[in-house]
Parts: sequence; C-alpha cells; structure tokens
Amino acid sequence: MTRAQLPEDLEALESQSIYILREAFARVDNPAMLWSIGKDSTALLWMVRKAFLGEVPFPLVLLDTGMEFAEVYTFRDRLVREWKLPVINEICPPESGIDPSLPPAARHAARKTAGLRALLERERYRAVILGIRRDEQAIRAKERVFSPRSSDGSWDPQRQPPELWDYYSTEVPDGAHVRVHPLLHWTERDIWRYTQAEAIPFVPLYLARNGQRYRSLGESNITFPIRSDADTIEKIVAELATTREPERAGRAMDGESEDAFERLRAGGYM
Amino acid sequence: MSALRVVMFGDVDAGKSTILGRLMLDCGYVPQAKIEEMERSSERRGVPMEYSFLLDAFQIERDQAITLDSSRIWLTTPNREIVFVDAPGHRELIRNLVSGASEVDAAVLVLSAEEGVTAQTRRQALFLRWFGFTSVLVAINKLDLFADPQSRYDERAAEADAFLRELELAPLAMIPVAAREGANLARPGDTTKWWRGRTLLAEIEALPTLRGDPDAPLRMVVQDVYRRGSTRWIVGRIDCGRITRGDALTFWPLRTTARVARIVRWPEDVESASAGAAVALELDERIFVDRGAVATHEDSGPTTGHSLYATLLWLGERPARAGTTLRMRLGARELAVTVARVEETFDPEDGRGRAAGEIVAGDVAAVTLIARETIAADPDLPSSSISRFILLDEGRVVAGGKVRALAAAARGEGATNVVAARSQVGRDERGARNGHRGYVFWLTGLPSSGKSTIAMRVERMLFDRGRHVYVLDGDTLRTSLNVDLGFTEEDRRENVRRTAALAGLFADAGIVVLTALISPYAADRESARSACSAKFAEIYVACDLATAERRDVKGHYRRARAGELERFTGITSPYEIPTSPDLVIETAHESVEASAAALAEFIERTIARSE
Repeated sequence: MTRAQLPEDLEALESQSIYILREAFARVDNPAMLWSIGKDSTALLWMVRKAFLGEVPFPLVLLDTGMEFAEVYTFRDRLVREWKLPVINEICPPESGIDPSLPPAARHAARKTAGLRALLERERYRAVILGIRRDEQAIRAKERVFSPRSSDGSWDPQRQPPELWDYYSTEVPDGAHVRVHPLLHWTERDIWRYTQAEAIPFVPLYLARNGQRYRSLGESNITFPIRSDADTIEKIVAELATTREPERAGRAMDGESEDAFERLRAGGYM
Repeated sequence: MSALRVVMFGDVDAGKSTILGRLMLDCGYVPQAKIEEMERSSERRGVPMEYSFLLDAFQIERDQAITLDSSRIWLTTPNREIVFVDAPGHRELIRNLVSGASEVDAAVLVLSAEEGVTAQTRRQALFLRWFGFTSVLVAINKLDLFADPQSRYDERAAEADAFLRELELAPLAMIPVAAREGANLARPGDTTKWWRGRTLLAEIEALPTLRGDPDAPLRMVVQDVYRRGSTRWIVGRIDCGRITRGDALTFWPLRTTARVARIVRWPEDVESASAGAAVALELDERIFVDRGAVATHEDSGPTTGHSLYATLLWLGERPARAGTTLRMRLGARELAVTVARVEETFDPEDGRGRAAGEIVAGDVAAVTLIARETIAADPDLPSSSISRFILLDEGRVVAGGKVRALAAAARGEGATNVVAARSQVGRDERGARNGHRGYVFWLTGLPSSGKSTIAMRVERMLFDRGRHVYVLDGDTLRTSLNVDLGFTEEDRRENVRRTAALAGLFADAGIVVLTALISPYAADRESARSACSAKFAEIYVACDLATAERRDVKGHYRRARAGELERFTGITSPYEIPTSPDLVIETAHESVEASAAALAEFIERTIARSE
C-alpha cells in the first residue's frame, strides 16, 4: 500500500505524536487508551498502529453510556472487526450516582468520569492515553502532554509538573495514573487534513446531511448538530478556515455555567 | 508550512494575556458568544472588559486577574499560522513558565511602560538566554496611560536596549503597543500614530520557524526495541541529520556498529528519513542496542565522559549544593549524578557569574556533575536531545540543564567524595545504590565453545554502562585459588564448589559476576546454583564438538586427539548438556558480537528486576 507524500507540517505533527506514544509505552507500565470513536481518537488510533508497527499493544477502552449515536456503534463494530482491535467496552454507571450539584448536561457527561474511575480501580492502569487537543477548549489549552492524576482521578491544575523539551513526567504514585495526550499540539483542521491524507475511516455523522452536521460527537442526548453544507472533508477544511464558532458549541455540557468544564475536568473528565 | 510557535514572556501585569486576547479579538477570532461571556465574566468581577479571560480560563485566574499556567492559542493570518504560548509572569510560577518556553521558535518580551525593566523582567530575559535564544522581539505596552506616549516609549526602549545587550540578547524590534485599545497589535492605533515601524503582528509574522536541521550531524535517540517475528526494530525520532538505507551507524556510549538494512515508517519502507521523522530501523547485524542508546554516523559522534559541566535552571523547592545526588534524564537514558561543585550562579542584573555555595529556585547556575556511567552528550549541537537534560529529586523535576562540556575524569575532591561515600554503604543498600542487583551468570560449555571470549566482551559492555561487573575465568583461577586442583571428577567438583562460593560472595557484595568454566557435570552446576541462593542463572554456551574442535583456541583438542591430554572434556571426559538452562547461546552459528549482545540483554533484564 502506498500513499501520496504527507504534507511536511502533518508529518511533523504525526512524528511528534508517535514519539509521545512510544515514550508512554516505554516508561509507564500497564497503559490503556480511551477510544471515544470520534475523529480525534480514531486518528490517534491510526498513529498507534504506525508507532507500534501495525499492532495496538494496549487495551482500547470505550466508556459506553449506552447513549452514543447508532452510527457510532456501527462504526465501532466495523473497525474492531477490520483492525482486530483489543477493545474493552466499559458500561458507565447510571446518572443517579453523579454529583447532583453539577448542571444537568454536565451530569450526563460526568457518567463517563465515573465509568473511567471504576475501570481504573479494577484494571490498575498506570497510564491513560487520550486524544484531547489544546485548541478545543481554553481549559484543555493548559494541559501538559503527560498529566499526572491523583488516585481518585482528579486533576490539580495549580500544581502541574514542569514539562521541559520532550522530557515528560511519568513518575506516578501507587494507585494514581498519568494522562497521556499525544494530540495536544494538533488543531481541528490538522486532524481533518490528516484524516483525508491518510484516508482514515470516520463516523459519517461529521458530514453534512440536509444542511446539518456534527462537529463534535458526544452522547446523543446532549450533543447538537451545527448548520453546515460541508458534505466532504475538503468542505469541512474550508469551513474551518472561516468559522468563528467554537468546535464544542454543540456540546451542551460546556456552556451551562462559566466553570462547568473546569469542574468536570478537575473531577477527572477527559 | 508548520505553525510558528511564539512564547510571550514578561513580568506579571505587563499585559501578556491581554495582548493575546485583544489580538485574537481584532483578528476576528472571537465568536460573539465568547465576547458576551467575557463581558459577563468581567462584569461579575467588577472590572472593565478583560481580554485576558480568553486565555485565563481557570476560575482562580479570573478571580485574581493573573495567569497561573501557560496556555496555547492558535491564530491563522493570511500569511502565517501562529501558535502563541502565554506564560505566567510570577516568580513562584517558573515551572509553568518554562513548560511553555522550551519548544518554541521565538519569544516576545512584554514590558509595561509604567514599570519598565523590573527585576523579574531581567530574570526572565536570563531564562531566554539560557534556553538558547540570541534575539527577542520587545513589546512596550500600556502607552495609552501616558500623555506623551512617544517620549515614554523612547525612554523605555533605551532602557530595554541597554539591558538586553548586556545579556547578549539582541532586540529584533521594539514595538510600542496599547493592548486595551488594540493600538499597534494587528493595526495602527491612536496612541501609536507617530510610529513608523510595523505592528506587533507584522513583526511576528516575519519570524522564521526553527526545525531540526537535516544537514547537521545525525542524532537519533533510541526509544525502544520492538520484536516483530524474528526482526528487532530499533525505534526513535531523528533529532537532526539524515539516515539513508545502507548507512553504518554507531550506537553510543557502547560504540557498537551496524548497517541500516531497512527504514520503515509503517506501513511503508523508505530510502531515507531526516530530522523530525519517527522511524523504525532494522540493522544488518544483531548487536546490543537498547533504550537510551544514541545513533550517529561513525565519523561525527558525541562527546563522552564522566564529568559534565552544565548550566542549570533550578526549579526545585530545596536548594542544591555540592554533594546533592539526583537522577538525570538525558535523551532516553536515566542515571544517577552528583553535584561535584557549584561553579557560579548568574546575576540577572548583568548576566555575570558570581561564586555561590548553593542554588535556589529561579537561579541559572553553572555546575559540575559527576556520573559513574559513561555519558555521551552534545555540548555544541542544540537540536540534539542529548544537549539538554532534566534533573529529578525523588521523582519530581527540579531542574533543566544544558550541557556545556564533558571531561573524562572528575576533578579534585568531588570524585574523592563519591568514592568515599560508596565504601560506607551497607550491604542491603548496595543494590539500590548500584541501580542493579548482584548476580551470578554461570557460563558452561565445551572447551573452545566461546565462554571466556563472550564473558570478557560482555564484561566490557556492562562496565561501560556503569554496571559493577567481574569475570571469574576458570583457567585464570586454576593459576591461583585452584592451583592445587587437577581434572579428576573430584577435582572438577571442588573447582566448581570454590568458584561458586567465590561468585556467591561477589554477588552478595552487589557485583554482577560472569563465570567461565567448562563445569561439565549437571550435579555440580546444581550445587553451584544452591550455593549462590536465588541469584544464579545457568547460561549454556552451545557449540557442536566439530566446530569447537576446529577452533581449538589453546591447541588442547589436537593434543587430546594425539593422546597427550587425559580427561579432556568432549574427547576423553564427558560433558553433560544442561537440560533446562536459563539461556542458550549458540556460538556455532552467530558472531561473538551477536552472542555477547544476546547475553548482555539477558543480564540487563535479570539484574534490573526487583527481588
């Protein structure tokens, strides 16, 4: 299989991500990766196969609330079959156990945090790899590539370790874990250009149908489409060059209150 | 083209976040909903429209109107894609400031026209110098607060120019701005209408990006070795230079060499790869390479030594002084180093070195560090990963370091201290201190099977990696300890018993021991195993009799065949092949180098394991 030469800037982004993945694998015992089945973590999964010469050497975890779109489940099943993926489908606990002081949509989202916490307790993962980006959201913009979490999964953004050059902190106390973010330096537009250049499969909900498309995929009950006629990746890339709307505008949980997303993340959300 | 990465430096309240927030707004990057959110958020806190809230997303940052942690924000202009790194100005937040500044192409130093050059500005400029910058853009902000902004600008610019030149940091341009009203950020403004130069954004757009240099000498830090089928893949990212298929590579600090058989960027094979590329290499020979080795071309390797002169940016809460022992991460290697001497700390006032006894947080200081292992590093190749390092104390990052020079041996009292300390260490602490356990690797096999050759080669390799290692060679011992023994079955048993007892003591003392004895009887080898308690591995050096006899290193086979030697193992005395050895080395079919590599790898795995 051959492909056209990847543009230089995408190749640099890809190499940096592969470097980060290999560091995580070499330095931390018992890693796992969260695969949300969205465009970012699917592109990341593609890079995992590149980094490890065709293998996925750690479990891929799906935090399943049962509320994903039907298209997402179909896509998941297809890729698991075709790429022979080592998947753990983790059913998240019901909303009744979630902090009632959170706004309603954030409560839905926090089910994933609770599912992740249960999984970490059971499987004792020391590293959790995930596909968040700094350009998505102002709180995520302050993340480290390797971000240590305490044993209850919480994030203390006031006391992040220094990250100099490519030396990442992987020292994790017992019972705690480190979040690894190999896509932090990518933008939404980079991801789409890369998805196109590498012909990476993606959930078709991202493409416009009847004047609407999903720009960011979350649970079907708290995610809304945007108005768009971008029914190809080329058109998505063009749309992103001019849009002034934030990527997560269709995610109800982010905007419920000024501190909603910060509280979710401090509690261990992705 | 890759995005240009720019860090904003400057004292707290100089207006770094405000400049970025306003710049994004003026470029039309902020959606209406976000502007309204910022207005509400500012109103709630009783302040005028606060543009910095675009970046200062944490509640506590907004409440206190300061930046606590560095942030990133993307801006795409018709000419350039720019990633801004907004770094906090507080002295207490240096760890967050340096996290933003280590991987950027350029720096903008923001000065407040009110405050001018402060002590913290000087310190931050010193950091920029330490990071390796030789030039910087300067933005003089808050000129809207003055009735005569032009003369205020002239004063501040002259002041900044003088102090930057003292630090050998060339000001590329000094740009007058007024961030709150957006003057001279993306477009000219009232406050700066006298200004004939470019806007801040235009100056930034003209900056070059720095990327790994493909024409520099080759450096690739080995991140890992993956086994896929029978192939070993050496994986890593090329820091600088280029690798082409067929190239002869040297791996440091062991200096093993092999040629590149394949270069893979999965799923494709490529002919060559250059700076920045993450690759997997297959070599034409099975040599010892592991994580932390550094690949170079043969003629342009790094400098090696045990004593390292470096400049540190100290972040640790506890001060450092001579005698402090720390972990160092250099490339993908991790090793223990001791501060032999604090040479000097640099004064932010004038950038000059002053003698100092200790280093405190925020200091830039020159030190001499000593390692027991051989270090390979690059004092003069900034794009190489082994030109810079971090130091850790109990798992926490306490410093960044730049390598300035290496020397073969430690100077003066520093080295004496290290040696003296080691002799005081108790027995159980030895393993922790050495970084490996003591262990016996018992090589058994026919005469001329290669036991001594391989043992000696592996001893050299492990020694160079800082392991405490020693070979007990059967023939050598027969000239001293075992001089009274012959080759009867009984004497052979005694020979094995004494050697095993000796090896066991060495292992207790924390040393990795390789024994090279024929040790033909299985029962004797089992006794040796129990004499060394659990710290024993049987290594069968396998070689068929015909090959061993053809080698006949010492001419013994010939003499045995001629009837001149009695009880010669393999000819006139039996050799009991191990039934369940811990490792088999096939010397008939592979090179000494490959055999030694396989054994060294096995030993490294064994001695690293905790008990």
